[in-house]
Amino acid sequence: MLESNFTNATVPIEQLPAILNLNKQSLSEKYAPLNRLLNLGLTLLICVIAMALYFQPFFDLPKNFLNFLPFVIFAVAILGFLITWFTYARDQVKSYTLRELDLHYTSGLFFRKVVSQPITRIQHIELKRGPIERKAGLATLQVFSAGGEMHTFEIPGLPVDTAQQLRQFILQHKDVVKHG
Amino acid sequence: MDNQTSSSTLDSGDLAAPLKIKDDWQVLSPVAILYFAVSVFKHLFSNIIYLIPAIAVSYKSVLEHPFIWLPAILAAFTLLTLFAFVSFKVYRYRLTEDNIEIRSGIFSKKHLNLPFSRVQNVKIEQPIYYRFTGHACLQLDTAGSAKNEAKLVAIKLDFAQQLKARIQNQVQKDEGDTNLENLSADPAASISGSESNKAHQEIVLNQRNLSDLVIHGITSNRIWIFLGGLAPFYNNIFDSIGEWITSLGIDLTELFSLQTHSLLEVGLYALSLAMLVMLVMVSFSVIGAIISFYGYTLSKLDDKYIRRSGLFTKHEVSMGLSRLQMVVQKQDWLDVLLKRINLKFEQSNSFSKNLSASASSSKIIVPSIKPHECQALIDDAYPDNSLNALVGNDAFAPISKRFIFRNIVYVLMPLWLIITSSTLMNGKFMISALLSVLFVGLCGLVVLRWKRWGIARDQNFVYLRKGLIGVDYYCFPTYKLQQTQFKQNLLMRRRQLATVKFVLASGSLTVPMIHEKLAYEFIDKGLYQVESSQKSWM
Repeated sequence: MLESNFTNATVPIEQLPAILNLNKQSLSEKYAPLNRLLNLGLTLLICVIAMALYFQPFFDLPKNFLNFLPFVIFAVAILGFLITWFTYARDQVKSYTLRELDLHYTSGLFFRKVVSQPITRIQHIELKRGPIERKAGLATLQVFSAGGEMHTFEIPGLPVDTAQQLRQFILQHKDVVKHG
Repeated sequence: MDNQTSSSTLDSGDLAAPLKIKDDWQVLSPVAILYFAVSVFKHLFSNIIYLIPAIAVSYKSVLEHPFIWLPAILAAFTLLTLFAFVSFKVYRYRLTEDNIEIRSGIFSKKHLNLPFSRVQNVKIEQPIYYRFTGHACLQLDTAGSAKNEAKLVAIKLDFAQQLKARIQNQVQKDEGDTNLENLSADPAASISGSESNKAHQEIVLNQRNLSDLVIHGITSNRIWIFLGGLAPFYNNIFDSIGEWITSLGIDLTELFSLQTHSLLEVGLYALSLAMLVMLVMVSFSVIGAIISFYGYTLSKLDDKYIRRSGLFTKHEVSMGLSRLQMVVQKQDWLDVLLKRINLKFEQSNSFSKNLSASASSSKIIVPSIKPHECQALIDDAYPDNSLNALVGNDAFAPISKRFIFRNIVYVLMPLWLIITSSTLMNGKFMISALLSVLFVGLCGLVVLRWKRWGIARDQNFVYLRKGLIGVDYYCFPTYKLQQTQFKQNLLMRRRQLATVKFVLASGSLTVPMIHEKLAYEFIDKGLYQVESSQKSWM
């Protein structure tokens, strides 16, 4: 017990920085609408394909299947709409916080989740940009720790500049520089 | 493994000498051919499972034409030998001052270059067929992906030991240096870094004898490992067992027919048959435990733990104390009865992604030890832990009773209601009664599960208790945390409950439904400790 000279043991809990009152930064304004558009487009695409299948005159399909198809289209349309609406609402509450020594990502409408990643434990960082993200000027920041791929810390829908600034901040952070 | 004492007493000056001379590409000893042959054979056999149906279908017709299958087998055998020989021929390795290079591969060439300072883990493995020639395999793991690991497949055992000592010295030296730069290292670490030339003595911490292993075999079902190994032979085994039983004059279908026997009789037969199967399984499990843990020793050299075990293939796994992420103390229900504990020292799991078999995995397991031995080992690894006191005083914070409510009302109850009502409607009263008994039993298990959950913390460690009938304790230093997660759904929010997930390099731990305030406290304190201590997790 002699060597345990941690000062943190004596700090009262009220004085610690708390993740309860994080100063939340919202994602890019484009992110939620873009996602909504994508989801709607996908739903529409499935419906159109199914409808084309229903009305096409080129080859015969089983009778049962044809009778069944309109209901499927209907269900897909309703479900797609609901999912789109839900993801839109969910995308709007996603937020992140950068503190001096750690990074936090808050998400979830019904299942709220706060993931906290100390910067000193970061192994490497990736900026991921798909074709659509590139078009919209967005980027996804991925942060890897030794906790494994299952626990990759990810912030989607950041404006490219912000994402690059975040990345730069983390790379030049004294904790990362020290521990490689 | 007789040479380890002599090599551990050598100082590093002597070690460096024989290594420096051979600064040039080298071939392996010819015994390596055997290793390559066996590994190809193993590889083939693991794939042959998919071919079994095809073979089974054409079994008869194949057997009738020996002039086809004999040459085929011969050809396959020749090919195998040729492959092993060529693999051996193209394999080259080179050792330099602080670097190892391996060139291998017949069709796709591989050139691996690994600085010693990047090596995380050194393992020595001695398959049974190497024991006559005194060779061994040296496996070097890196922190990166499993693909990047290097394996020297046939070198002399004492050379392997020297190389290992050499590599570990290098790693330690590097760490000592960085620690000095950090100014945060405790003095002991830097001293051991600079004095790494000094000879150190290995201390044996624990040994397991055969009776311990038998207990371990009984309590932990190692049967699955054994069954996995037997997988290619299932068909044959079942066929021959069936034949054997009929040859004894026992007709199973007749034995279990309700027309000729009373219900009680059939029940007794079934029971005794089940007992017999259990007995066979347990003995298999015991054999499995003995195969993987025969001659078990856990020893300590400086701050490194070394585990040696294995009946056929001898494994040697070593782990630096700083690499240790978490101590897990597991007790199954049988262990509780027999008062034995399985202790696990876990390190980062990126080293051992594809090694799940118990003997070769890089986590150190101490099988079936007595409680006081277990406590001694934990205290040795983490001197200022207070697990014992916490367990004694039952100082773990329990989780919310809503856990019972949630699991019973939202999960078990609907299932039970649906199934029993459907069986009742079909008039199967017996089945619904059985289901209700099962339901009550499961509810009991939920309550038990709730009772086991618990979490505690002291200055440097986080402790977790969970289990069902048995009890498991997890203990990790708070600064080893990689990431934390705070989870809460709307229902939990209304009752101010939350689930906390601690992510460590060795895996993640989840505590469900503790009080929100406690959850925030654990996370805030944890983050604070990680960020303020500046200690490396490795």
